[in-house]
Amino acid sequence: MRRDLTACGVIVILTACTLATPTSAQAQGDRRLAQQLGTGGASQYGCVICHKEKRRDFAEGIHSNRGIVCHDCHGGDPAAVEREAAHAAPFVGTPTKMETVRICGDCHSDPNRMRPFGLPADQAAELRTSRHGELLFYRDDPNAPTCTDCHDSHTIRRPEDARSDVHPLNIMGTCVACHDDGPLMSEYELPTGQGETYRASAHGVGLHENFNFAAPTCISCHGSHSALPATATEVADVCSQCHALVGQAFYDGPHGPAARAGKIPGCLSCHSNHGTELVPIDGIEATCRSCHEEAESEAGAMGVEIQAVIARADQNVRFAEEAIQELVSSGRETDDARFRLSGALTDYHRMGPAQHSLDLEALEDLGRRVSSVSANIRNRAEVAAEQRWEHKLILIPAWFLALAAVFLASLQVRQRRRDEPGERDE
Amino acid sequence: MSERDEGPGRGSWLSRFWQDVLRSTDASLLGFLRFLGLLYGPLARRLPIDQAFRKSLNYRLPGHIGWGHALGGITYLLFIFMIITGVLLSFYYRPSVQEAYPSIQYIVSRVPFGWMLRDAHVWSASLLVVAGVAHLVRVFFSGAYKPPRETNWLVGVLLVLVIAAFGATGYLLPWDQWAYWTVTEVVNAVDGLPLLGGFVAGMIKGDEFVSGATLSRFFALHVIVLPWAMLGLLILHFALVRKQGIAPPAESGRRGVGIRFWPDHLARSFAVGVLLLALVLTLAALFPRPIGEPANPYVVPDSLVSTWVVVDVSLALVRYLGTWGLALFSVLAVVLFLLPLFDRKPERRWRKRPVATALATVYLLGFLLAWAVGRRLESVPPSSSLAPALEERVLPPEIGAEEGESADEDAGAEAAPEEGGTDDEGGL
Repeated sequence: MRRDLTACGVIVILTACTLATPTSAQAQGDRRLAQQLGTGGASQYGCVICHKEKRRDFAEGIHSNRGIVCHDCHGGDPAAVEREAAHAAPFVGTPTKMETVRICGDCHSDPNRMRPFGLPADQAAELRTSRHGELLFYRDDPNAPTCTDCHDSHTIRRPEDARSDVHPLNIMGTCVACHDDGPLMSEYELPTGQGETYRASAHGVGLHENFNFAAPTCISCHGSHSALPATATEVADVCSQCHALVGQAFYDGPHGPAARAGKIPGCLSCHSNHGTELVPIDGIEATCRSCHEEAESEAGAMGVEIQAVIARADQNVRFAEEAIQELVSSGRETDDARFRLSGALTDYHRMGPAQHSLDLEALEDLGRRVSSVSANIRNRAEVAAEQRWEHKLILIPAWFLALAAVFLASLQVRQRRRDEPGERDE
Repeated sequence: MSERDEGPGRGSWLSRFWQDVLRSTDASLLGFLRFLGLLYGPLARRLPIDQAFRKSLNYRLPGHIGWGHALGGITYLLFIFMIITGVLLSFYYRPSVQEAYPSIQYIVSRVPFGWMLRDAHVWSASLLVVAGVAHLVRVFFSGAYKPPRETNWLVGVLLVLVIAAFGATGYLLPWDQWAYWTVTEVVNAVDGLPLLGGFVAGMIKGDEFVSGATLSRFFALHVIVLPWAMLGLLILHFALVRKQGIAPPAESGRRGVGIRFWPDHLARSFAVGVLLLALVLTLAALFPRPIGEPANPYVVPDSLVSTWVVVDVSLALVRYLGTWGLALFSVLAVVLFLLPLFDRKPERRWRKRPVATALATVYLLGFLLAWAVGRRLESVPPSSSLAPALEERVLPPEIGAEEGESADEDAGAEAAPEEGGTDDEGGL
């Protein structure tokens, strides 16, 4: 019996030893984690015993090194090891959508806490004003998005981080995750496919293919937290945030007041919304007539004129570019011509915005400047071409001299042969 | 020899000085002229200069000499044009990154007849290659390289290489986009060669990429090293011709008396020279060489229109026969160049030398065909190691957009296994 007990004791000790090793390693890991989580080196942080993956996700996000830990958002007792004790009140668990807004807002709506990071503190307030917020706050809609639907719940990254869901290159995918869901959108009578149209537009190509981060994403026009579709009267204002000159010219012209009054949908009438179609030069007249149907009207005639002026300027620019190429290939100095052309190009590009005011005189004035520079450059190319043509005249004296020399030489040889008949060869 | 002319005491100091000069130079002046290929006759060193002159003028050329033998002389004449125009160009040309391109612009637009100098230099160079190759072909098919003249054949081959080096170095000097990127392509091809390729390319470039260091090197090679190498080889070439005489006719048979060096041969040479000069001027005036945009290492052109025959040929070979086609073709060229070392039988009629004739004919026709095809391709896809990185990151969107259009060409180049892109001009 005693022997049995001794044997049992040995087994227990051995088992304890084998168990102790991993346990102490775990404790060490937890301490490391606790340090990483910023709990000031507390020996044990209970949540991660079970929620390992959450810990890993969280550690990749921006909050992990800002002293924020699990129970800051989820409540509970991190010092506890047992499930029940750990999940004791005040325990939140998985927060609801409204709770999420409150939890995030605890910090993110506090300007004093956001100031060191240069972040605004009005996201929650903005969200409340948005269509998303309306559904969430006032309709209690289960489909309404909350903070974590766009920013992820644990792996929250800065928008500048390319892995973030709200990075400019990823934001379209984030929006489209819901907005391309046909059945879901039909509940709110919203169309789908905007993402695809945007992606093919100048804005989408600029951002996604040429990596031009000045190009707008969904949120640039619709707002991010205050996401709302622009109303008809607002469209021109939204676009002119970037296209300032166009907007100015547009409001200067007759179309501006009409757009403000909501009679026409601003920029969209000619350029569409997500596709942001550029009207080609030879399509200006047709675009005008898409509203001003009667061809003989004053507006129709103006469309014809605008198209003609711009087409002429476009041609002049191309002629000038060709002339510069000619100058280059004939070895002429082109710095001055290029400088002038860059000035003309400025005028040419100003015609784009200027046409929106429908001020034909201003447009013609710009066109005249372009054509004068173009004529100057072409004139130089012509002078160079003339000089090169004159080079060919050298062939007349050259061949005359050459043939004369050959003729005289042959005469001389013949003369010598006649003088010395005995010396004839062959 | 002092008894032949007036005593030292007679005449003014000027004529006495002149007599001294004559006595001191004696026939060695003639010997030098002979080395330069300007006199053909046998020389007696002991003769006073006027008698030696008269004697060499009375020299009769061998009876079988015809117009086919003029090709070497024409090449030489063109080389003289190159020297004259080249020296005049170097008065105005400035070999630096900042000044090279503007100095070319200055030469063709401001310097009186500068355009003529430049275009005559360019056209003489092209004609020189044509005439040189024609001379080589003539020598090959008439079996003139057979012993004892195989050394002179090798000197001739070296001359061809020097001419090629002249072309390669001169191509970069205008420092425009064509020059810059063609040279980049070729140097990268050299870089891709096994073993010493990287080292040689580094020595050529003198930098990580084609830069001002490369320009300086190419200029020094073009105007200092190569001309002296050429002159030395030419003197050897002519001296050997004088020593061993013109190769006898392949077909023993008719043998005329041969024309006199003076006045018949010199008059003909004069006529050929004058007409050649007129031809060069005509080509220069009618077909001036266009100038590209200034060289810019940060802008890879969409396509390179190379005016360099070897690039065209290599491009066509790689595109249609692959890298191995180019390698085999290059090996064939080396075999042909070294053939005279092995082909030592005295038979000189081309009909009785089927192997040599067949090889050379295949090579020549293949070269011409590849050239014609290569000119139609008219594009060297920029395969520089710099280009892919640039295309992805730095290039403005217009060029990126046009990349799609030339994608089929790029695909063609990349179809060759891995090194296909860089080996385009591997044979150079």
